[in-house]
Order: sequence, then C-alpha cells, then structure tokens
Amino acid sequence: MLELKAIDTYRGPAHILYGVSLRVDKQEVVCLVGRNGAGKTTTIESIMGFLPVRSGQIIFGDEDLKNLPPHERARRGIGYSPEDCGVFPELTVGENLMISRWLGDEVARRRDGKERPNPEAQAFDIFPEVQGLLHRQGLHLSGGQRKMVAVARAMMLSPRLLLLDEAFEGLAPVVVNRFIEAVMKIKAMGISILMAESHLGAATRIGDRLYAIDRGEIIFHGPPKEALADEKVVKALRG
Amino acid sequence: MDILIIQILNSIFYACILFLIATGLSLIYGVMRIVNLAHGSLYALGAYVTAWTIGTFAVGAPIWVLFLLLPAGAVAVAAVGALIEPTLLRPIYNRPEEYQLLITFALLLILEDAMHFLFGGVPLTAGAVIDSMGTMRVMDLRYPVYNLLVIAIGIAAAVFLWAFIYRTKFGVILRATSQNMRMASALGLNVKRVYVQAFALGCFMAGLGGAVVVPAQAAVLGMGIEALILAFVVVVIGGLGSLEGALIGALIVSFVRTAGIQFFPEIELAVLYLIAAVVLLVRPTGLFGRA
Repeated sequence: MLELKAIDTYRGPAHILYGVSLRVDKQEVVCLVGRNGAGKTTTIESIMGFLPVRSGQIIFGDEDLKNLPPHERARRGIGYSPEDCGVFPELTVGENLMISRWLGDEVARRRDGKERPNPEAQAFDIFPEVQGLLHRQGLHLSGGQRKMVAVARAMMLSPRLLLLDEAFEGLAPVVVNRFIEAVMKIKAMGISILMAESHLGAATRIGDRLYAIDRGEIIFHGPPKEALADEKVVKALRG
Repeated sequence: MDILIIQILNSIFYACILFLIATGLSLIYGVMRIVNLAHGSLYALGAYVTAWTIGTFAVGAPIWVLFLLLPAGAVAVAAVGALIEPTLLRPIYNRPEEYQLLITFALLLILEDAMHFLFGGVPLTAGAVIDSMGTMRVMDLRYPVYNLLVIAIGIAAAVFLWAFIYRTKFGVILRATSQNMRMASALGLNVKRVYVQAFALGCFMAGLGGAVVVPAQAAVLGMGIEALILAFVVVVIGGLGSLEGALIGALIVSFVRTAGIQFFPEIELAVLYLIAAVVLLVRPTGLFGRA
C-alpha cells in the first residue's frame, strides 16, 4: 500500500532523514518509534508532502507521490492526524468534520461517480464521544477530545491509509486504552495505519510491525516483541 | 438639525465606502497574512474603470444601463486580483514579511502609474448615475438619493459577507485555511485555489468601494493612497482579519472624520491616528481582532 524507498529529507539546511525505507501493507498497523527529534514527524510530514523529499520514492498504491502537493495526497486516500491535532480552533467540531466530508464526497464522485458509504457512521462508530461535541468550537476542546476529533475528521475522508502522529501523547492511561480500541476498529474497517509513537510500550501493544528510528535512520524493523528484546532499540528510545 | 441629519447620513455613507475597502484588506490579511499596500490603488482602479465605462458606453443611457455598468470596476479589479495573486504574491509566501511589503508597495506604484497612463491625469466622474436618481428633501436641505443607495449597498455587503463567511461551504473552507493552512491542505483543500479566490474577493470589495463612490466623488490620481491610510486606521481600530472589526472601525473613523472636518479640521487626521494609537496600546489586536 505505502512504501518509502530510501528517502532523504531536509528541514531548511538540516539533513534530517537519511535513506529511510519502510512499508505499510493493506490492513496493517505499523508503528514508527523513536525518541523526540529522531525523525518520526519528519517521516510523516514527508509522506504527507509538507517537506520536500530530495531523493528516494514514496510509492502509494502504484504511484510515486514525491512531486504531488499535500492536498493531492489526501485526495488519493491518505488521512492525517498531526501531533498537535490541527483542529481548526474557531470552527465548530461539526465544521471541522464537514470539510473532510465534502472533500471525501467529491473524491468519491470523481473516482467512480457514486456516493460512498456514510462516513459519519464510520467516524462516530470509532469515537461516539465526538457526536456530543459537534457544536463546540475547536478552541474549547480538551487534549483528548482534540485527538478524537482529529482522528474522526481524518476518517471522514474515507482514507485507505491513516497517518497518526503521536496519537497517544499526553493522554491519561485510561484514554490511551480507548485509543487503542479505536485503532483496532479502524484496522478492522480495512484501513492501514502508520503511527509515529515515542512510547515503545504502547507501540508494541498495537503494532503488527514496528520500525525504530534514531537520528534520521531506521535502526530496527521487525515484530514488536523483538523490538522489546533489542538492546539497541531500547537504548535509542531511552536516549 | 437638518445639517446634523445630513452629517450623520454623510458619515454612514463614507463608513460604507470605508467598510468595503477595509473588509477586503482585512479578508486578504485574515486568509493569507498579506498586508496589501496596493489595496487603496485597487479601490482607485475600481473607481476609474466604472467612471470610464459609464463615460464611454453609457452617455445618455437609461438608468438601468447605468446601474448595470456600475459594478464594472469591481469585476475588473477582482480579475486583476486573480492575476496578481498567482504571479506576484505566491512566490513570496515562504519569504520574510519584508518581501510582501516591498512587492505590494511596488504594486501600488505600478498601479498608480498604470492608471495615469490609461486614464490620464484628468479626474473622471460618473455623475450621470447620481443625477439620474435625483435628490430627496431632508427638512430644509436636499440630499442625493444615490447616497442612500450606497448605504444600502454597504449594509447588504456586510450581511452578504457575514452569511458568505459563516453560513456557506466556501466560508468554512476560507476560515479553515486562514486558521491552519497546512492542515487545510492535508484535508484535501487546494490552498492555492482558495488563496486566489480570497484575494480576488478582497479585491472585488475594494473595487466595489471605488465603483460605488465614483458617481459621488470623481476618480482622481492619489485617491487610493488616502483610502489606504484610512482603511489601515479602520483595521487597526477594528482588528485585522475581523469582519465585525472592519464594520465598527469604519463607523468610528467615518464619524470622527466627519466631526473633525466640522469642528477641528486642522487636526482631523491627527485625531484618527491618536485613536488608532490608543487602541494599539490598550488592545494591540484591535477591538475585534484575535491574537
């Protein structure tokens, strides 16, 4: 579904990613773990098109996305929930969701001329709590609510792949469990997920496969249990 | 008493013109974070185009033809805006703010010279429009009916813009883009297209201000500079990026200006700047602006 082939990304003059390669298969949850500043967000932003990739390829389906702007990548079926959630603060939750809904409808009509299955039902099935927040402004949401709205909004696009950047960050343990359930539901809907995550524990509970990144390079790839036993990975994550 | 009523009507008339200009300036800043120094010149261009169109094609024409041609300036300026944004502004979005100030100031100079070249140095008027509507009695004085029409246009524009921004799909998209351009693009919005549309709409408002003012005041070289300064005072008082701020700011500036011309003409502009300075000190984001 998604394959990064040896990408190199810079932020301004700083070289951040060094030949990063990873793969996300259909209906798979892949975690990208690393400590702060290791290159997780840069990887996600490179996939989304916010940062130019100097070399390598980003293959999604059978197409190289490297030269496409972010909105074209979203229209091809990539949903995105950033680290800061990106909820529009002066829009209501309902308006936040509607933007994705409109664009998802437009893309579906253009693709096969048909209406798609009700995306609200999918989004509210994952986070029923969001239904009670529809009239509240983004500004007035708690941290956990913002995370839920960001994921629900990404789901309204009916994505094929969901990019979640630090989805569990700052959440209380009980809410983390709620999010793990949500990720499992999304996976069961046939959607692939790539999660950038700082906490190895949470990533091992949720991921089918795991990549560890340190200083812009992939240092481990394999099943989550092996990552826990890998001294290099544990050391890199502790810093 | 009759003079007081006339002065109040004049203040509201001028507030409507200022609102049309300032709301365009504010909209462009709100969505694109561009301080458009050429905005006053776009207002002047709207005035010139309408005066020229009516003067060239509608001499002796029936009143409905005059009104049909009145928005010509606004449409022309919106088209100019749709050309300016992708060619001159888009390349500088990722550069320091000095670049946008330099480029919009350069645009101001280019537009002023282009208007001089195209329309000459002679003032142009569209007096046929105001004449066709006649005057009405206000106690012992007469007042142009056209000015009341401009007030109605100003009110309609405020209502239309409010509904457009807060009640339509495009309005939601516009507000989303203004709040977080990156996230808007990550949700599939073509931000470049939104920017062109927002800039053209802001230019349309400036051009509409020029188009509706020109039957009452001649289009002259330099009118855009004065309008730009007053529009800046309006948005400083009301808050850049705020529709309500543009409305309240325009009313404050217009009433103070009218009172200033009547009672303290030597320091009329100084009083306006003083009010703007006090607002900046007490509430730097303006009365309705957000940090």
